[in-house]
Amino acid sequence: MAFLTPFFLLGLSAIAIPVLIHLIQRERKRVVEFPSLMFVRRIPYQSVRRRRIRHWALLLLRAAAIALIAAAFARPFLRQGAAAAAVGGGAREVVILLDQSASMGYGDHWDRAREAARTAVRGLGNDDRATLVLFSRNAEEHMRATADRSRLEAAINAAKAGSDSTRYGPALKLADSILSRSSLKRRDAVLISDFQKSGWSGSEDVRFPDGITVNAVSVGAPGTANLAVPSVTFARASFSGQERIAVTAGLSNKGDAPLEDVPVTLTIDGHEIQTEHATVGAHASGSVTFTQFTLTGSNVRGSVHAGSDLLPADNTFHFVLTPSAPVSVMVVDSGDRSDASLFLSKALSIGTTPTFQVDVSPASRVTPPALEKRAVVVLNDTMFPPAGGGGALERFVERGGGLLIVMGDHASWPQGEADLLPGRLGATVDRTTGRSGSLGYLDYSHPVFEVFKAPRSGDFSAGHVFRYRALQPGPTDRILARFDDGAIAAAERKVGAGRVIVWTTTLDDTWTDIAVKPIFLPLVHQLVRYLAHYEPATSWVTVGQVLDLNARAKDRSNRIVVTPSGDRITQSGAGQGNEGLLELSQQGVYEVRWSGAAAGRPEAIAVNLDPVESDLTPLDPRELVAAVTGRATPTSAQPAVAPEMTREEAERRQGLWWYLLMTGLLLLAAETVISNRLSRREKFL
Amino acid sequence: MQQQALPGARFVDPKILMRIGNLELLARNVVEGFINGLHRAPYFGASIDFAEHRGYVAGDDIRRVDWRLFARTDRFYVKQYEADTNTNLSVLLDISRSMTFASRGVPKLEYGCFVGGCLAYLAQRQRDRVGLITFDDDIVSHVPPSAKHFNVVLHTLERAKAERPGRLDVPLHKMAEHFRRRGILVLISDFYEEPDAILEAIKPLKFLGNDIIVFHVLDPAEIDFGYEDASSFEDLETGEQVPVVPESLVQEYRALMQAHIMALTTRFSEHRIDYTVLNTAEPLDRALFSYLSSRERLMRVR
Repeated sequence: MAFLTPFFLLGLSAIAIPVLIHLIQRERKRVVEFPSLMFVRRIPYQSVRRRRIRHWALLLLRAAAIALIAAAFARPFLRQGAAAAAVGGGAREVVILLDQSASMGYGDHWDRAREAARTAVRGLGNDDRATLVLFSRNAEEHMRATADRSRLEAAINAAKAGSDSTRYGPALKLADSILSRSSLKRRDAVLISDFQKSGWSGSEDVRFPDGITVNAVSVGAPGTANLAVPSVTFARASFSGQERIAVTAGLSNKGDAPLEDVPVTLTIDGHEIQTEHATVGAHASGSVTFTQFTLTGSNVRGSVHAGSDLLPADNTFHFVLTPSAPVSVMVVDSGDRSDASLFLSKALSIGTTPTFQVDVSPASRVTPPALEKRAVVVLNDTMFPPAGGGGALERFVERGGGLLIVMGDHASWPQGEADLLPGRLGATVDRTTGRSGSLGYLDYSHPVFEVFKAPRSGDFSAGHVFRYRALQPGPTDRILARFDDGAIAAAERKVGAGRVIVWTTTLDDTWTDIAVKPIFLPLVHQLVRYLAHYEPATSWVTVGQVLDLNARAKDRSNRIVVTPSGDRITQSGAGQGNEGLLELSQQGVYEVRWSGAAAGRPEAIAVNLDPVESDLTPLDPRELVAAVTGRATPTSAQPAVAPEMTREEAERRQGLWWYLLMTGLLLLAAETVISNRLSRREKFL
Repeated sequence: MQQQALPGARFVDPKILMRIGNLELLARNVVEGFINGLHRAPYFGASIDFAEHRGYVAGDDIRRVDWRLFARTDRFYVKQYEADTNTNLSVLLDISRSMTFASRGVPKLEYGCFVGGCLAYLAQRQRDRVGLITFDDDIVSHVPPSAKHFNVVLHTLERAKAERPGRLDVPLHKMAEHFRRRGILVLISDFYEEPDAILEAIKPLKFLGNDIIVFHVLDPAEIDFGYEDASSFEDLETGEQVPVVPESLVQEYRALMQAHIMALTTRFSEHRIDYTVLNTAEPLDRALFSYLSSRERLMRVR
């Protein structure tokens, strides 16, 4: 032990005072002369000179009080404590990362996580600062750099497990930014989670600098079993002018044991329609298809519920169904062959989402009214239809129609309609000699080819191109695809509200064999969907998505949004910026009531958990810590240089003087009481 | 009496004398004297008080022959009469340091001087010879008894200073060697010794046939021990200090003091020594009057 002001230890010499008082007994200053103490001496007493210390406890009490008070003034502190504190680096900056994703609702994970957070708060020193960050897919500060433990605990108590998926990257990045800006020497991050593997891909590009410690607190339990309904699909069919839907629910068993006879219930507008029983093997998937039902109106709410387990949130899947309207497509060909548009019409006839209502007509017989009713017009290897002349086709496109121009032997383009064509046509390029051509470049950022971006989504290079028309694109035209020789295979031009795409080879088997390749059908569907501005009716969205209600509202009217938990959010249709955005943070069905809308059911938006959140496979926390800190061992990081703590700082942190002073004063009070009682009992002092 | 001019004259307070002036200090024992006084002489002499008959022997004064008895008995008998004599009154005054104590009012020494002075005056008026011995642990001053020594006695009382610790045995034993004639000895002290030791010190004087009167002078504080505050008590004789919490021992002290007084009363009574406790808070005239009147009654009975 060391002392900040050792000079005050001289006060310990005052301990001799009570000893002397006990022995010498000079406290009686008043002397009374008496003729003779002959009789006084006969009364039993102790001579002062022969006096010995009788009340050892009282003497020790006084001596202890003096010693403690003198020691308090000397300001002691423990060297070992100071060294430990110096090694630790003094005050800490702590970031508590609390996972509130949907998977934390499994069993008691959330309660244990909050308790771990409270433990971290209780472990804070007087000079430490802590930030509470709640994260799931995103991360958000809930209490910034405070030493107020009560506020931190209150924030922890108020936190709830959410419905969003898990991503550790944003939380760790936020912690990194907070800790990197801290001026304190010790910086710790406490990550409390079930460490779901799906939340960490390893490519989050998060790396803490040296000196930051990451403590991983796992609340996950081994051997979690979870049944989930990750998705549903709908088979639509038309019957007697009505659309009938067959719902197929997918089941996913993430547990080690098979699940047998699991009840799976389909509910439509609150009515249980049908219950099936399914058996799903361990770590396997299954499905249940329900009987078709007739879709009678729009915004029909449905849900599929399967079994029960410790994570009930993913046992229910919500959806909203609206009857789909077919996309009207007019295929205009040359008419010289009956099968000129066979491949095209066949491909479009297979579509279900959407269905395509295809009419094939020779160019000579196309009438302007026929164009008006269409979503997309395909000029399939034909001349410019006379009905489209005079700007009729251009007006069709300008009003939002889609135009697909397919080149071929018969295709031609009048000079007067050059504004529609995405470029200037050139000569036919023959690739029949030598190696045939193929598609070599696709703009995967374009909505047409975006769906093909993922690996094994379609092999465009398998198709052979024998001939194509050369195309010189305009400055504003977008190149969508090129052949292997660099020539343009597809280009787009936007005209007004509509879109025009030119395909410089055929969509049959005359100039290319793409029509007989598996890629043909999805290519055609994507081209037509894009040109038709087709947005598939989303039966559900995932928690965390943000909807722009202003974009959905044709007249930008005001609306009231009712969340699944019953909260009401009022939005103004005339709002600017983020006013019209609705963050879907809860699982369930949101209702949007548009002001001025006709009476009827409100628009419903079904929101479901991200299916990956149902996979509770844990990640080894050490792996995450190692990836983030760059250290393989999960031990606390030592600061590069242990800062030297001053004696004053060490003493101030320990504050022993306060306890010594209080104890000394208490002893003095006790001594006063005891000595008064003893003096009353004794005849002599 | 010119009290202001005469040293020690203050010890013969007119108020006191007025009270006791009609009393006589009679010797308990028959004392010797050569001047006709109050006291009964041990010898038969010319007196008006018939004592007894004895047979006539040749040489007796024939005027003493009781002729009536001859007529009845045909034998010659002479009358014997009790003769009044004067006596010596010696005041033995303890002037040890304990006698300086006074809780309030009159110190014990001064009170004793008053007692001695008044009794000396009384004796001197009775044409007794008065003397004084002051002592502490030894004889300090000695005024032999004489009819002319009254003023000297007063003067000596005036000059008496308590300066040393005292004891009884040494000075009283020495006194026993001084006194060749029997007389009245008035011993004035606070008697802070064991009763046996006190008696042992006085016995030689008693054995000489002296009439001893003992006045035990005590301050009220010595009797009541009415102290309240815890203090260090210092023995005036030895200088020893003892811390005392009075309330803790007052009862025991009083009991010890009373037991001491009772012991002295018993012992002195056994040896036919007059013992009186004088409380310095009590007016002296009352105290002396009470004592002298009771003594006079006792003597008349004999």
